[in-house]
Amino acid sequence: MKDIETTKSQMRKGMLEYCILLLLHREASYASDIIARLKEAKLIVVEGTLYPLLTRLKNEEMLSYEWVESTQGPPRKYYRLTPQGEELLDGLQTAWDELSDTVNHLRTKLLIQ
Amino acid sequence: MKKTLTVNLGGTVYHIDEDAYVLLDNYLKNLHYHFRQREGAEEIVRDMEARIAELFDEYLRQGLKVITIHEAETVIARMGKPEELGDEEAATTESTYAAAAQGEGPRRRLFRNEDDRVLGGVASGIAAYMGWEVVYVRLALLLLGFFVQGLIVAYLVCWMVIPAAKTATEKLQMQGKPVNMENIGKTVTDGFERVNEYVHSGETRSFLARVGNVIVQMAGFIIKLALVLIAICCTPVLVAVLFVFFALLLMGVGLTASLPVVFYHAFPFIDWNSIGTQPLLAIILALCGLLAVGLPIVGLLQLVFQSLKMWRPMSTGVKVGLILLWMVAIAIGLVLLLQVPFVGESYFPNDSRFYGNF
Repeated sequence: MKDIETTKSQMRKGMLEYCILLLLHREASYASDIIARLKEAKLIVVEGTLYPLLTRLKNEEMLSYEWVESTQGPPRKYYRLTPQGEELLDGLQTAWDELSDTVNHLRTKLLIQ
Repeated sequence: MKKTLTVNLGGTVYHIDEDAYVLLDNYLKNLHYHFRQREGAEEIVRDMEARIAELFDEYLRQGLKVITIHEAETVIARMGKPEELGDEEAATTESTYAAAAQGEGPRRRLFRNEDDRVLGGVASGIAAYMGWEVVYVRLALLLLGFFVQGLIVAYLVCWMVIPAAKTATEKLQMQGKPVNMENIGKTVTDGFERVNEYVHSGETRSFLARVGNVIVQMAGFIIKLALVLIAICCTPVLVAVLFVFFALLLMGVGLTASLPVVFYHAFPFIDWNSIGTQPLLAIILALCGLLAVGLPIVGLLQLVFQSLKMWRPMSTGVKVGLILLWMVAIAIGLVLLLQVPFVGESYFPNDSRFYGNF
């Protein structure tokens, strides 16, 4: 049982970066929005997971951010994709398509036999 | 009745119970320590602080006046303990811990125990590592210190070299407790200073141990006093050392400039004329020599400044890389040394050893 959970969480971890880029592709958002979306999709368990990832992507210049005034409290950091980030997203998109194709192919092949 | 504090969290002011404040403060410090080797550690913690403030805001909007320990615990559970966070690198270490826990029980690691210390926590770290009672280790050290030469130096070296147990994980590893969520939760939510109580709670202290403790406390006080006195006495010496250091620096520059001449006279059996025709050999040899001598010096400097908390600890990759570079430099240097052209046989009859026979 414990092993299933570890593998599952590793799978989710692998997907996380792609999903963050995917969410930011549509619109700039701030961390709490991203958290809400990822939680909805059950991609993260604890919220703190997101912050090291966002900071790393920003340092790698895949993301940029700007401060936006908020009506409910202090200004917020709105993250958006940089052109490099868009390129990375394209690359990950292809990788994901290939991966899911392979896995589905394997599964159907096994089901038929 | 509880004391409350006012804190500024992510730019907003909150009233918070004292115990909740201690918990939150520990949590943020722990996050800092967890991400210390990461680029942008400050930023990660600052952003998480902002998120915590936002979650507290939600409570306040529901009509709460003061943040209590309950809210602090809930929010920390929501954000996740440091050990649950880190992305890639942390995932691998977590699995190694899990592997260790599944094997022959948790592996103890040697740390300095700063929560229970007289001087540097070396003795209590060793005691935790070996599973002995701290008092006896200290008494033994104290007694042996009178008879065994070099023990004091050894203690100081241990103080510098052995890292202190900082995070919950490290404290548990030091005590040989399994690193699982339950234990980490205990150390995080109980506040770190209580880890020791929790570990020692099962042991009843004997009368002898208590007497030993008093002796150790007194000896520790005397040693600290002595250290302070020595430090005061040493201040003029330190200034002198600084001047000497400066003079040595100047001398070093001078020596470096005159190095070719020194080499020329130090190694008369080398055929310097033919070295002149092989500039590449000379340059590579010089480079190897520089690396072979310079890298250990860099390592020493890193050790000193790291223990002074002025430099960040090196990552393992960098360490291994530098050591490899050092070994390669020595290997290449040795091979090239064999190719250095020597002055022909005719030199050696003039050797002083030869004269000695007359």
